[in-house]
Amino acid sequence: MSEAIVLEVRHITRRFGGLYAVDNVSFAVQRGEIFGLIGPNGAGKTTLFNVITGMTPPTHGELFYEGINITNKRPHEIAMLGVARTFQNIRLFGTLTALENVMIARHIHTKSGVLEGVLGLPPAPQEERAVRQRAMELLELVGLAEAAEMQARNFSYGDQRRLEIARALALEPKLLLLDEPAAGMNQNEKSALSAFIRSIREQFNLTIVLIEHYVPLVMGLCDRIAVLNFGQLIALGAPEAVQNDPAVIEAYLGE
Amino acid sequence: MKLIDQSSQQYRRLWWFASRGFAAVAFVLLITAIITAPSGLQNFFNGLAIGGVYAIFALGYTLIFSILRIINFAHGAIFTLGAYFTYFLTGSAVGFNGLLANQRLPFGLPFPIAMIGGGILAGLCGILIERVAFRPLRNKGSDPLLTLVSSLGMAVAIVNVIQLMVGAEIYSYPRNPFGELPAALNLGTFGGLTQRPIIIRTIQVIIFGVSMVLVVLLTYFINGTKTGKALRAVAEDATTSSLLGINTNFLILITFFISGLIGGIAGTLVGLSVNVSGPYFGINFGLKGLAVIVLGGLGDIPGAVVGGLVIGVAEAFVPSEQVAYKEAVAFAVLFLVLLLRPQGLLGRAVVQKV
Repeated sequence: MSEAIVLEVRHITRRFGGLYAVDNVSFAVQRGEIFGLIGPNGAGKTTLFNVITGMTPPTHGELFYEGINITNKRPHEIAMLGVARTFQNIRLFGTLTALENVMIARHIHTKSGVLEGVLGLPPAPQEERAVRQRAMELLELVGLAEAAEMQARNFSYGDQRRLEIARALALEPKLLLLDEPAAGMNQNEKSALSAFIRSIREQFNLTIVLIEHYVPLVMGLCDRIAVLNFGQLIALGAPEAVQNDPAVIEAYLGE
Repeated sequence: MKLIDQSSQQYRRLWWFASRGFAAVAFVLLITAIITAPSGLQNFFNGLAIGGVYAIFALGYTLIFSILRIINFAHGAIFTLGAYFTYFLTGSAVGFNGLLANQRLPFGLPFPIAMIGGGILAGLCGILIERVAFRPLRNKGSDPLLTLVSSLGMAVAIVNVIQLMVGAEIYSYPRNPFGELPAALNLGTFGGLTQRPIIIRTIQVIIFGVSMVLVVLLTYFINGTKTGKALRAVAEDATTSSLLGINTNFLILITFFISGLIGGIAGTLVGLSVNVSGPYFGINFGLKGLAVIVLGGLGDIPGAVVGGLVIGVAEAFVPSEQVAYKEAVAFAVLFLVLLLRPQGLLGRAVVQKV
């Protein structure tokens, strides 16, 4: 396995009863690239994200992350290896504040363990301060520092999306999976999103896989694009090549 | 059209004032009644002691409910187990029945340590229940109702194992478990405010004190520690928590342990007050605990505490010659509160999202 490959998907199939949500899909994501995953509704994109993050075990096939076989690992183990994601239908802890949302994700990087928690000892104040400070930095990065003490459910849709990204970054991931980051954003927010995703890639040395329906964003942002249709991989390559692929045009527009 | 709007608004405001005013008047009347009734304050203090135990016992239900959205029906059995464990850890002997007849541990622990030990053993039984009755069903993604039934099955099994091992007789804890303390405190008449002097049993003070210490510790654990924060996250969304690196299954185990720990200590405290009456010791308590959490608002920690105290005090006002109606009072209070506040005393109304 080459050092340049961060995520390798090998012949992944996920069946739900008779339905092949993901059907024998293989691809490899290079270090540092922004990899787009597109396809019509129901093509299996989110299912593939669920398989990669361990939420849905694959029916067949194998997954490698940084050369480690993660096929049978549980979600929290995969998260701790450095894979973070956001959700198409936002899943924040609505009753917790923005800051608490981010701090929870930071806590896996702190030393004080469960025993300490069970015994009711306070988290080491130094450590707690560091966690809080880092969480505030991340909120600042996504432009939500002022709203740190607000309950997450009171945020606007676009702000919730940004908060989800801040929470994902708090895991210090190497691989970030974004599920429709532009959904629900207005035009201004959408235009700012490309630059933002690029900037976090630079700043955190990330490899990013993103699902997106908003075509201008995908075409302008991604280094390579994979197209799924009815669970199968029908095209893979640079944006221009994929855009002109007859199979892709057929999938989107019909015959 | 506008006229109707205005009048309905006025009507609503009037209703708001009337209902708040009514509640305030009722509250003041209640307090006055407690203070001036022949043995009002006495009953009130008696009620607080038992209410404290109701509160911590109900917290055990609440913890598990807030994470899994399932009532653990085996919690009453855990309560019983805790009381028995404490009994044996003090070095007392098993009775004449059961497979373990006349056995005793080769050592005896001082009562406070035995109580904590009994709680820890009960907590470990809680973990066992999670592994046997909850997790296998959860992994198969089965209906929560089925888990409820399997926890009920665990309760029946535990009660029968207890009967098999140590028989059905009444067990009493050693005398003076906390050393030579006066049996009761005389608080006097508060300067003639009450007709008879108020006397509080030392045991009641201990029960209430231990309960409140546990409530404070638990509240701190949930709000002030890292594990507590992770628990709140799992309670809100287990899947997302696991994607943030939180080992949800392990946290559920911890929850069952803590639930069992406080349930077991609650059992010991009640046993201290009224003896351990047999394998079915916890069954009535289990039902009353349900009333407490519904009264306080399902899954709400302060609600369970308030609910426990309210039911404890309400029961204490049942005259001793009509003691058989105690249970009825608990459920009547529950019924009345639910008529007025279906979400429970402190529960938040569930807003149906369309």
